[in-house]
Amino acid sequence: MAYVVTDACVDVLDRSCVEECPVDCIYQGDRMMYIHPDECVDCGKCMPACPSDAIYWEHKIPDELAVFTAAAAEFVRAQQLGGGAADTSVGVDHPIVDERKPR
Amino acid sequence: MTAVADSPVTPAERSTVRAACPQDCPDTCAMLVTVAEGKAVEVKGDPDHPFTNGGLCVKVNNYLDKVYDPGRVLFPLRRTGPKGSGRFERITWDAALDEIAARFTAIAEEHGPEAIMPVSYLGTQGILNGLNVGDPFFAKLGATVAERTYCDSGACTAYAMTIGDTAGVDPESLVHSRFILVWACNIMSTNLHLWPYIAEARRGGAKVVVVDPVRTRTAAAADQHIALRPGTDGALALAMANVIITEGLTDDDYIANHTVGYDAFVERVAQYTPEWAEIETGVPADTIRTLAREYAGAQPSVIRIGVAIERHAGGGQTVRALACLPGLVGAWRKPGGGILQLPLWAFPVNWGAFMHPEMLTPGKRVVNQFQLGEALTGGLALDPPITALMVYNSNPVVVCPDQDTLIEGLKRDDLFTVVSEQFMTDTAEYADIVLPATTQLEQDDIMFSWGHLYVTYNHRAIDPIGEAVPNTELFRRLAARMGYTEPVFRRTDQEMIAEAFDWSHPHMAGITVESLKERGWQRLNVAPPESYAPHAEGNFPTASGKAEFVASAAAGGNFVLPLFRQGSNDHQPGQPVDPLPHYIPPRESVHTDPELAARYPLNLLTPKAHAYLNSSFGNLTFHRQVQKEPNVLIHPDDAAARGIGDGDPVRIFNDRGEFTVLAKIDDAVLPGVVVSSLGGWRKHSKASATLAAVTPTAFADLGNAPTFSDTLVEVEIA
Ligand code: SF4
Ligand code: SF4
Ligand code: SF4
Repeated sequence: MAYVVTDACVDVLDRSCVEECPVDCIYQGDRMMYIHPDECVDCGKCMPACPSDAIYWEHKIPDELAVFTAAAAEFVRAQQLGGGAADTSVGVDHPIVDERKPR
Repeated sequence: MTAVADSPVTPAERSTVRAACPQDCPDTCAMLVTVAEGKAVEVKGDPDHPFTNGGLCVKVNNYLDKVYDPGRVLFPLRRTGPKGSGRFERITWDAALDEIAARFTAIAEEHGPEAIMPVSYLGTQGILNGLNVGDPFFAKLGATVAERTYCDSGACTAYAMTIGDTAGVDPESLVHSRFILVWACNIMSTNLHLWPYIAEARRGGAKVVVVDPVRTRTAAAADQHIALRPGTDGALALAMANVIITEGLTDDDYIANHTVGYDAFVERVAQYTPEWAEIETGVPADTIRTLAREYAGAQPSVIRIGVAIERHAGGGQTVRALACLPGLVGAWRKPGGGILQLPLWAFPVNWGAFMHPEMLTPGKRVVNQFQLGEALTGGLALDPPITALMVYNSNPVVVCPDQDTLIEGLKRDDLFTVVSEQFMTDTAEYADIVLPATTQLEQDDIMFSWGHLYVTYNHRAIDPIGEAVPNTELFRRLAARMGYTEPVFRRTDQEMIAEAFDWSHPHMAGITVESLKERGWQRLNVAPPESYAPHAEGNFPTASGKAEFVASAAAGGNFVLPLFRQGSNDHQPGQPVDPLPHYIPPRESVHTDPELAARYPLNLLTPKAHAYLNSSFGNLTFHRQVQKEPNVLIHPDDAAARGIGDGDPVRIFNDRGEFTVLAKIDDAVLPGVVVSSLGGWRKHSKASATLAAVTPTAFADLGNAPTFSDTLVEVEIA
């Protein structure tokens, strides 16, 4: 259960959401943020904080963006993220983000 | 922010109303409700509130789902089918009140008024509509006094015996703590807004240790997780005291000046060595030593206990032992040091104006609600037997133990049951009359908190939906129909709000009804978090004014705070209490009852769910989707030994009953421990039973706390 960052964040990365998160579970990729689905406590604070409206609740995410739910889970597993996000980027992204054209 | 409305806004206006979460949760979040054309369109956390900080939680973010759920009970209903059939017809309020008044009057005449019993708790915890809302009515009626000890009653008795009813540590002061010991409390699911303070302390170098039989989200996020056998927390706490004393880690000056009974305590804990505790708890002796050294050495250190800790045979003495530790190491000296249990005690709530204990008939009998099933079925010798129940603010079928017996009792044809509810709960289905209750958006209230130091005001945001009424109005109507004319039964909500606090108390300086209405919330007039250290120089609200290792209040025997029993001090449990902290092992364990453990080898724990608050929200589609199908966590070894695969339906049973959920194989639990969260409703369950079917009605040692976590079961494929 978790909130999910979607492609409206790609190349924005202003980290407004990170400021809000009480449990530091929003990790920065090279071009997009990723919320750790096992660490997010569903408090909902990041969603209204996002100026790009990039964040959705997993349970209310539009169908066309639902791929990002799986992508976040795959990304944190592949990068072995956990235990609290650092201030710096992980340096890579999920392939679904790599496919996006630069803004 | 636009204008704050005192009462519903005129249609077409769009306004923001200041409100407060009504749930029985320590965080008491300040909410902002947006209302457009008479309809609430958004509920969110108040970003200006220091503790709430703009966030609510998974339970309440979707509060509108609850308010506007099509399943709301909106009109009075009368049963038309057999009890439990769920068949009802709509009736008028007049008809409902006539019938209730006539039945209550007839029962009181025929059997005596104690044949009637209220059943309620904290389904809403506002001062007006919460714990004590029905107390004057039932006192006047002469009904059986309901003892309501679901939560913290045992811890309160223990805590009061040791350090008095003090607020302890300001949760906001935790940023100054150097060592944070979270004991059996899953903060990330049940006290979410405290976590940022802990996280900040940690960024400043504090160590966070979680003691819990389960690797909860909170335990996983901590620096260290100490997993111990369920119900052995007291052994760990006493062994910590043993190490602190043996190794000379005490604050001798604090002990000499601000505690009593130290020598006797030293003698008592000498037997509780880390090696002894290792056998009892499963925690290695060296881990216990290190924990004690770090706890004593990193000052200020703080212990955060939740409500789970009291829920086994020795829960009370466990809290006594834990409440002794800060005095031992002088943790109280600085802000952020001590023990955090219930900041509630800082609020000068005018409980008397709501309970009206002077209206009770002296000597009136008291029945504890955990024994409701037995009370209804002859298991308790009651003369006269219970013939009528009035249930509000509670769904006992889900939250009371011994579910099967309770259902049997509720089915009695000669029992007259009234349930006031927002939804057709598992309990309401057995009612003769169901009355429609409002949600928080439809009522005014004023809130204390048991997790921070802010008073919060809840403005009614919208008109009541259908014919729902607040609990205050329910009892005004019932009292009028019964012909009660005392002024207490005619108070308006605004008159009650004016009586909610002792406004002349120093903690209320600068706080008025008007200022609260305007601002929504205000911090009590106490020292700010950076200097809040009420016991730096002792000053404990105990008989001696000191922290009492030897509790003078134990002399009168075991007791339940009158707050949890309608203000009554009659028929207290009263059994002798050893004034020194000591270890009481769990009742249902392989050590205490090997024969029982041979048949039922697994310890069942039943913590609060992430998406439900007790049984509240357990019916809502969205919350059920988040919480997922009820399950039981079982260790891979225990699952393998029973041929259980992940996702298999399993039957969990003991001599009291059984329930069926899906297995989730997870090494977050210790071998021998299984975990199933509370709150799913019986009507949605597999095999018509929830975990309340297997939990015991037996009390813990102090304060008649429940022993929900002192439960042995076996699990097998269903
Ligand atoms: S919902 Fe809360 S916990 Fe989850 S990512 Fe957003 S801010 Fe963090
Ligand atoms: S606030 Fe929104 S846009 Fe900014 S980093 Fe977070 S998800 Fe991306
Ligand atoms: S349930 Fe607790 S955390 Fe959630 S909104 Fe209410 S007070 Fe806040």
